[in-house]
Amino acid sequence: MSSITTKLIIGATGVLLFAYLILHVIGNALIFFGPDLFNSYAHMLLSNPLVVPIEIGLVVVFLIHLVKAITMTFQNQAARPAKYAKKVAAGGTSQKSLASSTMILSGLALLIFIPIHVKMFKYGPEYPYGASDVRDLYRLEVENFTSPLVVGLYAMVMVVVGMHLWHGVASSFQSLGISGPRFTPLIRKVGKVSAIGIAGGFIVIAVWVFLFGARS
Amino acid sequence: MPAKTITVNLKVWRQPAKDQPGRMVDYVAKDISTDMSFLEMLDVVNEDLIRKGEDAIAFDSDCREGICGACGCVINGIPHGPDAGATTCQLHMRRFTDGQTITVEPWRAKSFPVLKDLTVDRSAFDRIIASGGYISAGIGGAQDANSILIPRSIAEEAMDSAACIGCGACVAACKNAAAHLFTGAKITHLALLPQGAPERALRVVRMVGQMEAEGFGACSNEGECEAVCPKLIPISNIAKLVREYTRAWWRGTT
Ligand code: FES
Repeated sequence: MSSITTKLIIGATGVLLFAYLILHVIGNALIFFGPDLFNSYAHMLLSNPLVVPIEIGLVVVFLIHLVKAITMTFQNQAARPAKYAKKVAAGGTSQKSLASSTMILSGLALLIFIPIHVKMFKYGPEYPYGASDVRDLYRLEVENFTSPLVVGLYAMVMVVVGMHLWHGVASSFQSLGISGPRFTPLIRKVGKVSAIGIAGGFIVIAVWVFLFGARS
Repeated sequence: MPAKTITVNLKVWRQPAKDQPGRMVDYVAKDISTDMSFLEMLDVVNEDLIRKGEDAIAFDSDCREGICGACGCVINGIPHGPDAGATTCQLHMRRFTDGQTITVEPWRAKSFPVLKDLTVDRSAFDRIIASGGYISAGIGGAQDANSILIPRSIAEEAMDSAACIGCGACVAACKNAAAHLFTGAKITHLALLPQGAPERALRVVRMVGQMEAEGFGACSNEGECEAVCPKLIPISNIAKLVREYTRAWWRGTT
């Protein structure tokens, strides 16, 4: 497979994962409106027959993104066996950043985080919400975010998510060949704003739940 | 403005031959006129080495006016040095200060093996061009101007890509030693023009295939290549390369 095809695959799966994160953070933000709304939204998702195929699809997309990125990283390293004694960022129009230089590391950090995260929430304790068959995910979230250590670690991981998106969003579109004199500067801004929005959103929600969640 | 002279401390990669170990060696370049180009400064150092009976530092150059693509080394960590849009031969010593330490290294990539000191074998680029970077239609003698109508904006865009001089700085700058900007510029240039149309799909498939066979890396969209390109060729050429490759696949050419 050519490196162009590889990049198309990483870009396409990257865009899908980005879209998923947008929906995820919006869904989480419903927690501000209290347990009724939050739990009924979660119930709507969980009771939808499409949820299982979508979840499987998400895992497949994630794994493809991951496997392609890892194999490409090894190939890229092989393309420069001898390192420079001194190498610095060129500056100017370059998009190189701490985020772009650590994409594989931020990605691998999320590979460790995601199973823990899914275990804590999706496969966490099943509390009933009142007498109904609705699952009380609000309570679960409050319980999960009672420890300052958990909130702190979670916030750190969300910074990693933000870093991955900082470079990844605009990079995905470039990898798909979507580029233009108006589009490219725009998507670079959109990528950075959404990196801050998504990572910041998850952090604010977690901190809010930690501080005020148990009260409502 | 009268020329100033400065003294700079060089750390230069010395390697006697291909596949032999090399190392960074210190040299002092004394009384260098700030009006000299970087290569003229190396000439002065070499004259000194030759007088002493030592081996001169090997480096490539030809036109010394920024148009041929022969020259190029990584200067203080940046291919072609600190100036944007300039080749090594167009870099002047006035960009450096008295007493400054300057590291000088060859392009480093598996596909560009070092031949001696600062010279590398860039024939991988030639083989990419030979795989499809041309038109093979017989076009006869020179035609009258404007007998093939090409909108000015398209002609300009094609010319911007055709400005590539094949120096290899893009590969040298890329953390993955990828040749996508070089290949993308060639593909974009010919894909935009009617003369390139008959072989458009086959060309991109062959050139990308050769690029992969040479062992270059994959593009991470950082744009270091664009920032060091002496002809300021933007990475939109790489997006165009992707589109051309996808188009060829769509048409069943891959
Ligand atoms: S020697 Fe020709 S571009 Fe530098």
